[in-house]
Amino acid sequence: MTSSVLLAFLFLLLFLGLLLFFSARVGRGQKPSLRRIQAFEAVKGFAGRAVEAGRALHLSLGTGSVADITTADSLAGLYTLDYLAEQSATTGISPIVSMADPTVMLMAQNTVRSAYGSDKAKAAEAYRDIRWIAPQPAAYAAGVMNLLDMDDVETNIMIGKFGDEYLLMGETAARRGMSHVGGTSDPNVLPFIYATAQETLLGEEIYAGGAYLQKRPLHIASLLAQDTMRWIVGIVILAGVVATSLGIING
Amino acid sequence: MNLKIGRVLPTTVAMVVGIFILAGVFVAEWPGKIFGLSGLINQVSLLFVSWVTIVAAFALFLGFANVISVHWSRIQTQRPGNLYSIVLLVSLAATLAVGFLSGGPNSDSSRFIFDSILQPLESTFFALLAIFIATAAFRAFRVRNLETLIFVLFAVIVLLGQVPIGIYLWAELPVIKDWILNVPALAGARGILLGVALGAIATGLRVLIGADRPYTDQK
Repeated sequence: MTSSVLLAFLFLLLFLGLLLFFSARVGRGQKPSLRRIQAFEAVKGFAGRAVEAGRALHLSLGTGSVADITTADSLAGLYTLDYLAEQSATTGISPIVSMADPTVMLMAQNTVRSAYGSDKAKAAEAYRDIRWIAPQPAAYAAGVMNLLDMDDVETNIMIGKFGDEYLLMGETAARRGMSHVGGTSDPNVLPFIYATAQETLLGEEIYAGGAYLQKRPLHIASLLAQDTMRWIVGIVILAGVVATSLGIING
Repeated sequence: MNLKIGRVLPTTVAMVVGIFILAGVFVAEWPGKIFGLSGLINQVSLLFVSWVTIVAAFALFLGFANVISVHWSRIQTQRPGNLYSIVLLVSLAATLAVGFLSGGPNSDSSRFIFDSILQPLESTFFALLAIFIATAAFRAFRVRNLETLIFVLFAVIVLLGQVPIGIYLWAELPVIKDWILNVPALAGARGILLGVALGAIATGLRVLIGADRPYTDQK
């Protein structure tokens, strides 16, 4: 047990070192070319499409919290909100934002306030479109389905932590013919997103919003660090398989 | 100056709290003593974690205010569906009144609301998933490109492999179904989970070193 704690600690230190290393490299202007993720390209066009249609844009931040294991998923949704809020500060159409956890609501309000800067009147207007629906997944899904039906929504983005209730909301969006992008980290929910959304963010792609939508240097560095760690983990797994097959270590 | 304090103070607090909580995870099972500090780090870490409950409870009050504000504004502006907003606010007030007058959330009346109204409603609502899965499957099963063709092919094999008629059609179907679920599907899911773990760690590290500050007004 103790050796696994030591390994985890070393893993974290290595990850942090790589993050700082790539951060310095990206800071010096050595930015990599990122592969195209169609879902983020779609998100970029959504604000403009909503303005053209004169209808609303809905962003669901899911049923996760910022005070437990689902924090990273909720933050992924908040990075997308950050981008949309910056867009809305110029277009004037603020997104309707829904969530199931009130701590995420506070973060969403903060994100919107940050995007509007000193324009407090517009920020207050955008605040009204941040809606805490309900803490239970079923109740949250019911609230979002009602929102999608009643609020004249043109485009729908759902990024965060979702369970089976995703299908109830995703199917409503699909039935109404909305432009729809979805993403979550749970592999069990991904088939539901694949079946209902036009574009899907698969697993870790949801965390790449800051790098793809806002080109934040540290987020780009973080993608490079993740890729390097993935190679290291992959090589270790492969070495383990070979060593076990050859009988060098016991499975 | 105010801008600097507004940025530095929350960032410092977040970093210190984050480092203590992370350290708490490691010191609990760390081999050997860390200058006799493991007990202190553990206690401080547990204290910070217990504060989360208080903050979350306060956030619930603000969420409650948000629900009232959103639905009250819908009623005032007479937007479509404002009748539902009236029902929601009346139900909210009634539940709150029952809770206060009958002696809290564990009273018989409050339990009646949860056990006989809320839970059956939730169960009924989730039962709709069966219908939604059928319609979603119908949409997903329309072959548009090679990717959807593979999706449909695998889905049909797994579906037929799960039901008794599959064995009558071809005895090997359940074996192929098991292989699909245990080899390519499981490998794919593990690959996704590995990426998710790395993404979540990177997100956590960015917040921990104060590079991402979703809790402040400044970026």
